[in-house]
Amino acid sequence: MSSSTNTAWTSRKALLACFVSTLCLAALCSAQAGELRGPSGVVAGTSTSISTTGNGTAMFYLVGPTVSMKRDVNLGEDVTLTAQQLQNAGKYLAIICAGTCTSIEFFVSPAKPSNLTFLVHPSRAPVGENDVISGVALPFDEFHNLVLAPSTVDFQLTAKGASLMSHPASTQDGIAWFRTNSGKSAGATQVLASINDVSARRVVQQVASDPCSLHIKGQRTAKGIVVETDPVHDCSGNPVPDGTIVTFTAKDGKQTDTVDAPIKQGIARAQMIAAGPTVISAASGVVMGNELHVGAQQ
Amino acid sequence: MKLFRFQRVGRAKVIVAVVLALLIPGTSMAADSMPAVVFNASTVGPRAVESLTQRSILRDYRFAWANLAHALESNSTAPLNGLFAGTASAWLNDAVSTQRHSGLHSRYLNQNHKLEAVFYAPEGDVIELHDTAEYTLQIFDGSQAIHDQHVVVHYIVLMTPGADRWVIRQLQAVPRF
Repeated sequence: MSSSTNTAWTSRKALLACFVSTLCLAALCSAQAGELRGPSGVVAGTSTSISTTGNGTAMFYLVGPTVSMKRDVNLGEDVTLTAQQLQNAGKYLAIICAGTCTSIEFFVSPAKPSNLTFLVHPSRAPVGENDVISGVALPFDEFHNLVLAPSTVDFQLTAKGASLMSHPASTQDGIAWFRTNSGKSAGATQVLASINDVSARRVVQQVASDPCSLHIKGQRTAKGIVVETDPVHDCSGNPVPDGTIVTFTAKDGKQTDTVDAPIKQGIARAQMIAAGPTVISAASGVVMGNELHVGAQQ
Repeated sequence: MKLFRFQRVGRAKVIVAVVLALLIPGTSMAADSMPAVVFNASTVGPRAVESLTQRSILRDYRFAWANLAHALESNSTAPLNGLFAGTASAWLNDAVSTQRHSGLHSRYLNQNHKLEAVFYAPEGDVIELHDTAEYTLQIFDGSQAIHDQHVVVHYIVLMTPGADRWVIRQLQAVPRF
């Protein structure tokens, strides 16, 4: 073989190697991930897509609040994300890897409110108290995302068909709240929170407050002195609940006798033993009753 | 004899430390990997956050994030028990199980949280927090890193008091506060 033939053969091999290298490089380049273009304004529970550039195949990853998935995709085509994959509000990360990895992030916002979490306190409230009833409402969408877009929650208190309070409150960071006085009448109070066509109802039992005044009467019997109150009411005229304690105190000069008696059907009753002239008084909470003077036993 | 007594005291201390570590909720992470949390409750309303409550929230929030990171790195739902409830618990359990299913795992490194209380219910039964969290997020497919980025994420957090701790009920990332 001549030297010129050898040179030609060598240069042909070099050319081939160069061509193969170029092809490999081109193949490598074409398999590299191009750009990802993410969606904007995605609402929870709706499908969307992410566009890709480049050509060849790549591995696509989606990482979100409750989802971690991967699948093969063709570069240059849109990657569809289903409504089911995007049910949870929050930050999502889309990653595409072909040789190297590139990523984009996007946010999914909550859908419209579909239920209200409504916390009301207390379950029993005395009548005529200031700022004793409070409620907090948190709107959630059907996927349990806290709805953060400001919206108006209407709070309403009703008792026996009459409106006690109506208070619209705008949500701030997904929360609206109210605080109000209790009414004047004992009984069940309906507390309603509503936002658009979604509402939640709670009941607060308004109960009589402390006794407003006490009046006692009594008489001596063969077994001692029987003493009882008149029907006990709070200052709004509501009967004080059964079980409220009234303390009777009897002083006969030498000794003092004390009896705690629960109210039953509006009246507290006690039997006390004292032989001599006796002064009987009654108290419940901070209220004192009248003094009752009973003469000595005959 | 003295040495024997010292050994006994030392052993007792170790036992007490181990028992305490097991009893304190969510102490599954080593101390050096604990997230740094700064808590500000100075502007919260309508109810003020008592100092003891602040300390409890801070403690439980730190443990919660440590456990979250542990769960998502090890693909185990066990660390999520105790400090997450309701929606947050369900979401994180789903996150772990889908990661495991896909062969992925995540690392939340160098966590710094600036936590601010924005709403504390009048009766103290729910608190809303804003967390500006900074951390390095690494995501792996098997042993191959596919993502490594220092991120700042804003979270809306709802916590409620339990019997002996505060639990996270909602942990929702938002673009901004």
